[in-house]
Amino acid sequence: MKTCLLQQISAFILLFATSSFIQAAESDAVQETAARVSAKTSHVIDPDGGTESWEADAEGISVNLAQIVPDRARGFFAARGFTKEAAEKYAHSCTFETVVRNEGDTAIDLHVADWRALVNQQAVKPMLEPAWQSEWEQMKLSQAARIAFRWSQFPLQQHFEKGDWGQGMTTYPLPHGACFDLAFSWTENGKSRSGIIKGVCCAQDK
Amino acid sequence: MHKISKSIMMISALLLALAVGTAAAAEQQGLTALAAKPAAKNITLKDMDNKTWNLADLKGKVILVNFWATWCPPCRAELPSLERLWLQLNKQDFVVLAINAGESADTIFPFTGLLEPAPTFPILLDLDSAVLNAWPVMGLPTTFIIDRQGRIAYRAVGGREFDDPALVKQISELLQHKL
Repeated sequence: MKTCLLQQISAFILLFATSSFIQAAESDAVQETAARVSAKTSHVIDPDGGTESWEADAEGISVNLAQIVPDRARGFFAARGFTKEAAEKYAHSCTFETVVRNEGDTAIDLHVADWRALVNQQAVKPMLEPAWQSEWEQMKLSQAARIAFRWSQFPLQQHFEKGDWGQGMTTYPLPHGACFDLAFSWTENGKSRSGIIKGVCCAQDK
Repeated sequence: MHKISKSIMMISALLLALAVGTAAAAEQQGLTALAAKPAAKNITLKDMDNKTWNLADLKGKVILVNFWATWCPPCRAELPSLERLWLQLNKQDFVVLAINAGESADTIFPFTGLLEPAPTFPILLDLDSAVLNAWPVMGLPTTFIIDRQGRIAYRAVGGREFDDPALVKQISELLQHKL
């Protein structure tokens, strides 16, 4: 009876160890890819849709950027009252679903306006929500469409206490398929911090 | 062979500890206590049944105010847990108001029908986003817990599992404080 129990425990441990080694090997593969991009960045390609995402984990903060393909942007905003022209204009930009998490014990503050896309030795500012709203005003978009747009974008400023996180779209005035390094920043206890995600690429317009 | 088994066991134990630690970190849930406890701004909005809700009328109860939209992925993810919390706590003293950002009842109703469990708490329509703009909300979802004195006691930015024991405990403690 004891032998049987020991065998079962051993089998479990072996199974666990084997699966852990497999997981570790998969993780290493991701890290190897990440190492080419940045030491602290992981890079994932969605096996179904082929869209790419990048995540940086640094000093209690994680920043994740996932490509939004133009068709998804067109569809999303067309379903929320955007005219074809306005939806096309937004879809023409380089857009990411952006998730930032405070994974540390200290409150952090974010100002997306301070982030930069570094490309060809130039620092490109993100296209911020107020600038888009000016476009929508000129295009006379409905109030409902503009409200949906406001809240779908990553907030200009955020204060994240421990455990807080946020999600929203960020856009850069770069062509589809362009690649850049994202320099992101935040403040913690009044001290400015920064990180970089290397090799981020805008989605292709397929 | 003995050495290999011992190594596997040691690595397994290490990986198990690592896995438990990672899971614990991932499951971290909670609300941020606001030291200043600012007074909650009044809300007057209609729900999907055209009933008017006024926050001032609910003074003396503990109120959870959740700002959300149907197209917001973390909002969608947390709504069922909000319903479970609502069912779990005493409805006499606990009110949930889910304030939608700018969508009509025609848009919201088909969506809520797909949720399991579907919300039975009031969903208020902030059609012009005026309440969202008046409250200290930067992004969706954001949730506030208002104490019996009408002060904002807790805040959560980003999605939560509202029926997580740690979170239920925080709200239950507020409910225990009678006026």
